[in-house]
Amino acid sequence: MSTIADTELIPFDEPAPRPSREDRGLRAVPAPQRRRRPRLAYALTAIAGAALIAAAQLGLSILTAQSSYELAAVQSEQRQLTLDKQQLTDEVAGLSSPQYLAANASALGMVIDSSPSYLRLSDAKITGSGEPASDQSTVNVGSGSAAANALIADTPLVTDEDATVQESSTEEAAVPETVRNAPPLEGGLPSPETH
Amino acid sequence: MTASVNRSARRRTSIAALVILVVLLAFTVRLFDIQVVRADEHIEDSMEVANYVESATLPGVRGSIVDDEGQVLASSSVRYDVAIDPALADDVKRYDDAGDPYVETWGRLAERIGEVVGMSGEDVEKVASDAVASNPDARWAQLKKGLTTEQYRALLDLDAPMLSFEQQKSRTYPNGAVAGNLVGFMSSDDEPLAGYEMLENACLAETDGKIEYQRSGDAGVRIPGTTTETPAEDGGTLQLTIDTDLSWYLLQMLKEEVETQQAKAGSIMVADVETGEIKAAVDYPTLDPNDYQATDSEYLGAPSLTRSFEPGSTFKAITAATVLDQGAATPLTQITASGHEQFPNGAVVGDSFSHPSYNYTLAGALIDSSNVALSKIGELVSDDTRYEYLKKFGVGEKTPIDFSGEPSGVVHDPDTWDNQTHYATTFGQAFTVTMQQVVSAYQTLANGGVREPVHIVDGCTSADGKTTKAELPDAERVISEEAAQQTVEILENVANEGAVSDMIQVPGYRLAIKTGTAQKTDGNGNYKAGLYFTSLIGIAPADDPQYVVMVSLDEPRRVTSSAATAPAFQKAMTQVLKTYRVTPSEEPYEPLPKFTD
Repeated sequence: MSTIADTELIPFDEPAPRPSREDRGLRAVPAPQRRRRPRLAYALTAIAGAALIAAAQLGLSILTAQSSYELAAVQSEQRQLTLDKQQLTDEVAGLSSPQYLAANASALGMVIDSSPSYLRLSDAKITGSGEPASDQSTVNVGSGSAAANALIADTPLVTDEDATVQESSTEEAAVPETVRNAPPLEGGLPSPETH
Repeated sequence: MTASVNRSARRRTSIAALVILVVLLAFTVRLFDIQVVRADEHIEDSMEVANYVESATLPGVRGSIVDDEGQVLASSSVRYDVAIDPALADDVKRYDDAGDPYVETWGRLAERIGEVVGMSGEDVEKVASDAVASNPDARWAQLKKGLTTEQYRALLDLDAPMLSFEQQKSRTYPNGAVAGNLVGFMSSDDEPLAGYEMLENACLAETDGKIEYQRSGDAGVRIPGTTTETPAEDGGTLQLTIDTDLSWYLLQMLKEEVETQQAKAGSIMVADVETGEIKAAVDYPTLDPNDYQATDSEYLGAPSLTRSFEPGSTFKAITAATVLDQGAATPLTQITASGHEQFPNGAVVGDSFSHPSYNYTLAGALIDSSNVALSKIGELVSDDTRYEYLKKFGVGEKTPIDFSGEPSGVVHDPDTWDNQTHYATTFGQAFTVTMQQVVSAYQTLANGGVREPVHIVDGCTSADGKTTKAELPDAERVISEEAAQQTVEILENVANEGAVSDMIQVPGYRLAIKTGTAQKTDGNGNYKAGLYFTSLIGIAPADDPQYVVMVSLDEPRRVTSSAATAPAFQKAMTQVLKTYRVTPSEEPYEPLPKFTD
């Protein structure tokens, strides 16, 4: 206790004088200003912008979706055309083959002659066999084709619809017994008289 | 009081922040794991699980095989396989035009399906019922393979729910059997089995591509931006040196000659002297690659390129060329020979006809095709020299054609030649050759002694248009120009004075030819009696050689000798000269004396 009693009492500083009311800078809060009305234009712009973006996106996606359908339609058309092409290719396959051509020519009575003759223009000289063409074919296509071709086995000939490459319809009757000779020409080829 | 409140509030805030941070971090780590570390795994997973991902094969197209004019010999096409789902093979409910329902019975539908695929309605029903009988849960039974596009579309039009289709690649050979022996064919599983289809598969083969995309539930429209595509690569176009039209004529003519001469088979080969191109290599009987299963397996190849035989007299020209090139003889060198002689070493050689002792010239010996005279001519040079020349002319080595199964031919080392072989090799026996080797040897003679590599493949044009020429050995001088010309001159004498000269003339042209009759082994080490492998090879025009034509008939029975081949050769050579518009010969033929006295 004594210690406490002995303790010198420290004197408080002189309390500083409170600043005067004026110095404290207190004043009444000013009345709140009237809230400014938000500008409608900004809001409209923002909303319009958002709407535009949404619309554009919608439009774009409609367009892409639409073109996807168009694409699908075109692809389906392409498939049909590919099938068309395949079908047509199947149909004509073999028609260009030499055996088909030869069988058609043979049905018309055409022959493959042996040696040809050549006429040289520079000096009008005939070289080669120098003989007229014969009516004998060096190969007899009518007696059966050596070159089998499953593609045209059942295809009728263009020149004789009763025959195919393998089977001629009427072997001998194709050429009549008596073939009339061509009338002799006098004074060149006949030409129609015109006035 | 206020301070402690503040502190505890701060501590709570920090803990909350820490927890949030930890959770956030955990999410980040997981996100990174999902998006980056295991991204591929997840994409794959989604592809598997999500059934809206569709993928399809983009089929590549196998390349075509074309002839020297670009005419197509083999091209790709599409066929369809059709299968039945037995579980759906039942009556089908349909609506007529007025919208009223009606029922199409399975029997009626099967009838209509059968009509398209060429089966009876009962058979179609049987396919389905058999499948169910063997497996009650069967959902698939093959109905028919290899349908055409027309049949496929007809089946689609039937709107039959039990049918399913599979597209198959297929090959079409527009010219059928023309050059079919060379082109070869493919199995129904798209595997090349023979000919150039197989040999040049590397050029022709295509690579399939793949396309993957997501599709909408309605109408299966592809969703934009989801497509990944690996394009297909088409195969290249293979160009051959073959002339299709000429090949057709030769095939047709060969058939008639084989039948007339009652031969087992026949072959014709045509080569361009200047380039070594084979313009035709024709066999009869032969195959139609469109329907190769219809052909006897014996005739599925190209015997003209794969048969080896003893050439016989056609190689007398090579013996003559050897001695001429060696300077050991001239076309007029005298050789005295009888029809039948025994040589000092004991070997016996006879001619095909009996005659007294003649004083032949070298040319005369070939005109009469005298084995005895040729035996003596061959002795003018050593065995080693003759062996060396046979090798130089290409015997015992595959030609650059290198067809599948092409033999190299056999000629034994001269050290092993016995007394008979010593002579037999002078007239084309005791060694074997292929048709293309004989043609190549005559091409060498016709081309002034320079061998151009005989070949059938011209090149390969890839799908992007890049052409690669076939790799061929360089041209090679085999004998001197003079020796080659003299040999051709002798062969022209053979053509004009030999045994078949009346049968082989082509009016307006000078020819040089040699016949050959090879004996055939009977399989027991003996020669077949009276049956031969006959051949005739010729060069035209003799004054300006442009084409070599060789015709062979196997075992002709009407005429058994090489004369059997003469009519076929005459027609073949005529057609070749006509096809290529070869100008008729101007200079007359000058005969060499046959005898010295």
